[in-house]
Amino acid sequence: MLSSMRSFVLITGATGGLGKAFAAECAARGWDLFLTDLSESRLALLAVGLSRLHNVEVKYRACNLADPAAREEFLKSLETAGLQFHFLINNAGLDFEGPFAERTPEELATVVRLNVEATVAITRWVLRLRDQARTFRILNVSSLAGFYPMPVKAVYAASKRFLLQFSLALHCELRGDDITVTALCPAGMPSNPGVIRSINAQGFMGRVTAKNVGFVAAKAIDRALAGRAVYIPGLLNLFLSRLGSLVPSSVAAALINRRWRETSKRCTPSN
Amino acid sequence: MEHVGARREKTENTTGKNTTGKTAVITGATSGIGLAALKELAGLGFRVIGVGRAAKRCAEAEASIRSEMPGARVDYLVADLSSQRQVRDLAAAISRLLETENGGCLDLLVNNAGTVSSWYVTTEDGYEMQFAVNHLAPFLLTRELLPLLNKAGFARVITTSSGSHYNTRMNWRDVMYRRGYNCLLAYKQSKLANVLFTSEFNRRQGPGSRIRAYAVDPGLVNTGIGEKGTNGFVCWFWRIRRQRGVAPEIAARTIIHLATTPGLEDPEAVYWKDCRPKRPSGYSQREDAGRRLWELSERLTS
Repeated sequence: MLSSMRSFVLITGATGGLGKAFAAECAARGWDLFLTDLSESRLALLAVGLSRLHNVEVKYRACNLADPAAREEFLKSLETAGLQFHFLINNAGLDFEGPFAERTPEELATVVRLNVEATVAITRWVLRLRDQARTFRILNVSSLAGFYPMPVKAVYAASKRFLLQFSLALHCELRGDDITVTALCPAGMPSNPGVIRSINAQGFMGRVTAKNVGFVAAKAIDRALAGRAVYIPGLLNLFLSRLGSLVPSSVAAALINRRWRETSKRCTPSN
Repeated sequence: MEHVGARREKTENTTGKNTTGKTAVITGATSGIGLAALKELAGLGFRVIGVGRAAKRCAEAEASIRSEMPGARVDYLVADLSSQRQVRDLAAAISRLLETENGGCLDLLVNNAGTVSSWYVTTEDGYEMQFAVNHLAPFLLTRELLPLLNKAGFARVITTSSGSHYNTRMNWRDVMYRRGYNCLLAYKQSKLANVLFTSEFNRRQGPGSRIRAYAVDPGLVNTGIGEKGTNGFVCWFWRIRRQRGVAPEIAARTIIHLATTPGLEDPEAVYWKDCRPKRPSGYSQREDAGRRLWELSERLTS
């Protein structure tokens, strides 16, 4: 029954840019992985790639975590399989770019369902499946956007604010149970062509606040292992987050509103 | 059959060597060095298969060559070489194409496609982009096409490396540069890997082999490689620097030289610049490093 003794790292949103970096970082540390994301075929490719590189076991199962029924089935399957976990990385999250009034109600609901509801549900469920022999680590991917109200990204920023507060509260609440909770609050990360275009469109500020996902993933795991409550990659970003608590929210919102409008003008394709 | 005669005449006029009917595959063939080499080879009577990532650019390149050289035998295949799945599919498509034409015989493979990325970006297989495209793709494509290369009388595998391969070593502890990613270091390592691969390929083939591998140093060439996946300083720097580079047609000459000159079996001459052998870096000739990279690459493409 050796296999039932193994304990896994559960990574959601594993085939995205940051998700792949988390998966590679954990595999490099010799940890066995359980990955989930929307696409079964992309998970399969990543699982094969990482197990070749690092000689770890990589399990996966596709699931649309924004769908409550699919999510419950997924979580039940983890329990039925008798898996146990020592690390949970709540990385899955999404945003639909563009002004609030131009988004469909379904899109807006999906942001809340995935970023907020799924994170809460998975965290609660996986706590029951923790490996009792080890300290249990939770890493929630919030965002620098969690520090301010952000026009044009209103629902997204609010959902990231939720994750930040949720993490900080659990960090204190669960400390006595040998569980650590860390919130990762990165700025933009150039992990795929779309994001790279958007970072370039933000010009100088986009580029200097951006950090390589490989670096962010590695450091975030270091911080989680050290039991830190929050990790903000980059000194400038740390400064910006502090600024967020000094400047009144209404002022921050007005400033960001102006900046995003300039950016979206530059981002609009000319053809 | 009129165009065949015209082609033969041109072949003899330019080099005096009969290359008509030989087959060549060139990756990264929609622009830069790859496109220049492809046009030149087509003009010499090679049956050429170009590979590009974007269907639109492939179609444009194919159309422009057909209009410039009505007799050219050229096809383009679309493949994103960052994906091992697509590299395998590409090799299968090449095999199918050549099977019907000449029983599946390939005389020349030019692993020319290369990329630069300012940021740590991973492929669908979870590997760092520059290592995957610049090294693993040539390794895998060469291996998949070996049965076709083995059918040629004397086949050549040419990989576009770079002077960037000097003064660097393999970062064995983290070949993907995941933690401390640096665009230039990752690029230099991938170009070193091209030379290590080329030398190790020849060692493994052994003396008297009918397939030889060469690494080409194109020098500084005026192409868009440093602008496509980069931004900020690197992009700006390359835009300035490329002005001093030679035209892609001049850089492609070494590839043409290696593809068409008989009697290049000298086992010492693996690294070529300006149509002459050049001494590659000492590290690139280390047998332990070559073996280690080969074994790692085999594992990562198994």
